[in-house]
Amino acid sequence: MSSPPAGDVQRLLETMQVGVPEGRVPARIFNDQAVYERERERVFGRVWCFLAHESEVPKPGDYVTRYIADNNVIVARTERGDLKASLNMCRHRGNMMCKSEMGNSSHFRCSYHGWVYKNSGELIGVPYFKEGYESKLDRKQWGLVPVRTETYAGLVFGTLDPDAEPLEEYLGGFQFYLDIYLKQGPGGSVVHGPPDHWVAETDWKICVENFSGDGYHTPVAHQFGFHLGYFPSSGATHSQGWAAHIPGKGHGIGLGHTPGMPPFAGYPPELVAQMGETLSPAQMEVFSKTRTAVGSVFPNLSFLIQPFSLVPGEPGVRFCTMRLYHPTGPGRMEMWSWCLVPAAASDEYKEAAYKAYTLAFGQAGMFEQDDFENWTRLTRVAGSSVAKHLEFPYVMGIEREPLSDFPGPGHVVSPYVTDTNFRGLWGTYTDYMLKES
Amino acid sequence: MEPPATPGASRPPTPSAAEVPQGTDNDGPIVVANEFADVVVRKAHTRNGVRLEIWSPRRGTVIHLDAVALDCLSYQEPELITELLARTPGA
Ligand code: FES
Ligand SMILES: [Fe+2]
Repeated sequence: MSSPPAGDVQRLLETMQVGVPEGRVPARIFNDQAVYERERERVFGRVWCFLAHESEVPKPGDYVTRYIADNNVIVARTERGDLKASLNMCRHRGNMMCKSEMGNSSHFRCSYHGWVYKNSGELIGVPYFKEGYESKLDRKQWGLVPVRTETYAGLVFGTLDPDAEPLEEYLGGFQFYLDIYLKQGPGGSVVHGPPDHWVAETDWKICVENFSGDGYHTPVAHQFGFHLGYFPSSGATHSQGWAAHIPGKGHGIGLGHTPGMPPFAGYPPELVAQMGETLSPAQMEVFSKTRTAVGSVFPNLSFLIQPFSLVPGEPGVRFCTMRLYHPTGPGRMEMWSWCLVPAAASDEYKEAAYKAYTLAFGQAGMFEQDDFENWTRLTRVAGSSVAKHLEFPYVMGIEREPLSDFPGPGHVVSPYVTDTNFRGLWGTYTDYMLKES
Repeated sequence: MEPPATPGASRPPTPSAAEVPQGTDNDGPIVVANEFADVVVRKAHTRNGVRLEIWSPRRGTVIHLDAVALDCLSYQEPELITELLARTPGA
C-alpha cells in the first residue's frame, strides 16, 4: 500500500477543520496509512496516554507492559512501593527487557548480554564489567529511559511530551464524570482480574467515538440485548438522557436515562449509601438518574457502566468496564478490556458484576461482538477507493443549545442521542493533527 | 492499593500459633519463577536439623540456608540484593 503524499493529509485535515463544526467528518480518517503515521507523532506523541490502573501493580515487584504510540512501556512497583514507568528497552543494544505482559520481579535481566536493572530502571549489573569494560562504563548514564507519569484516582497516565500540561488540566473537569467509574464507594475502584487483550481489524477512533456517547446505535446493534430482556431500556425511551463533553479537550460522556428506573438500580444498596461519602451531591444527583454512563478520555481510553441481567428478565447487575484502543496500523488495533469493581463491595457483588461484564463485554461478550461486527466492516469500507473521498453527516443536535442548569461541568445537552460530543471529539483531534511542533 | 510493604527491618504483626502452618507435608518443592529466572525451593533435612535449599536448575547452582542465615535475610534492605547482583550479574 503506497502512502499518499503528506500534503494530501494536510489538505484532508484542513477540510476537516472547516467541516467538523458544520457537521461533516471524512471517511478516510478511519483507514489510511498517512493519517495513522501523523496520529502516531502528533496525537500519541503529545497526549497523556493511559498506562495502567494502580491495582494492577499493587505489590513491590509487580509490573505490566503497555504502549504509548509504538513504544512499549514497563509500569512497575518498586521495592520501595512507588510507581516507575520506563521504556521497555535495554540500553545496551535495545533488546526488549520484559517479554511478559505482566509479572513480578525486583530486577530485570536482559536475555541478550545479561545487563541487570532494578525494576525502577537503574542499571546495576553488567557482565564482564572489569574484564571487558575495564570498569569504565558509567552505569548511571545507561539506565532504562524513564517515562513521565501522573495519576488520577488510580489511573496511571504517561506522556512522551516533556511540555505536556499537568494531567489535572488535561482532564479539564472531566474528573467529575470519571468519578462514577473510579470512585465507586470507599477505596475507589479496582481491576477484577487481568484484562482481556486482543487484536482487531478496526480503527481505534470509531471505538472512541462510540464510547463518547453513541446511544444511537444501541437499540439497533444490540437489539438482542433489548429483546431478550438483558438490558433495562426500551426503544421507545432510549433517546432520553444527556451528553456532556469538555470543549477543547476531546473528552465526552453519554448519560442514558430510563424513566421510572430506581436511582442507582443494579448496585447493592449498601454501596449506594457509601457512594454518598465519596461523591459530591452534584455527582450523586447526576449519577442517580444514569442508567448507562459511556465515556471516553481523549485519545483512546473508554469506560462504560450499565446494568445487565445475568438471566434475561431478571433485575440487572451494574458492571463497569474500562477499555484501551491501541492503534498498530491503519485500521488495525490492539484492545485491552478490564472489569472495574468497587473495592469495598462484597465478593458476591464483585463476582456478579464480573459475570455481567463478561456476558456483555470482553472479547466474547454479546455487546462487544455486536459492535466489532459493525466497526470492522466500517473500517474496511473507509479504506476503499470511493469511500475515502466521502464525508459522513455529524449534524445531529447541531442547533441545540447547551443546558444552563445541569449540575455537571462541560458542554451538556439533552437528549442522550446526539452528535454533539463527537463534533467536540473530532474538533480536538483535528487541532492536535494540525498543530506543528 | 495496599500500602507499600516497608522494606528492611519491618515487623509485621506476629501471627498467633493457630495461624502458623502445621503438618509435615510442607517440605516442598516449591517453584518460584518469573520471566527472568526460576528456582526450586525445598526443605533439606540434615541429621540434626533443617536447611532451606534453593536450586537454580538452569544455572545448576544450589545453596543451603539455615535459620540464622534466613533470619538475617529477613531484615536486610532490598539494596542488598541489588549489591549482590551488581557484584555477580550472572553471566
Ligand atoms: S541488549 Fe541487553 S544486554 Fe545487550
Ligand atoms: Fe455498542
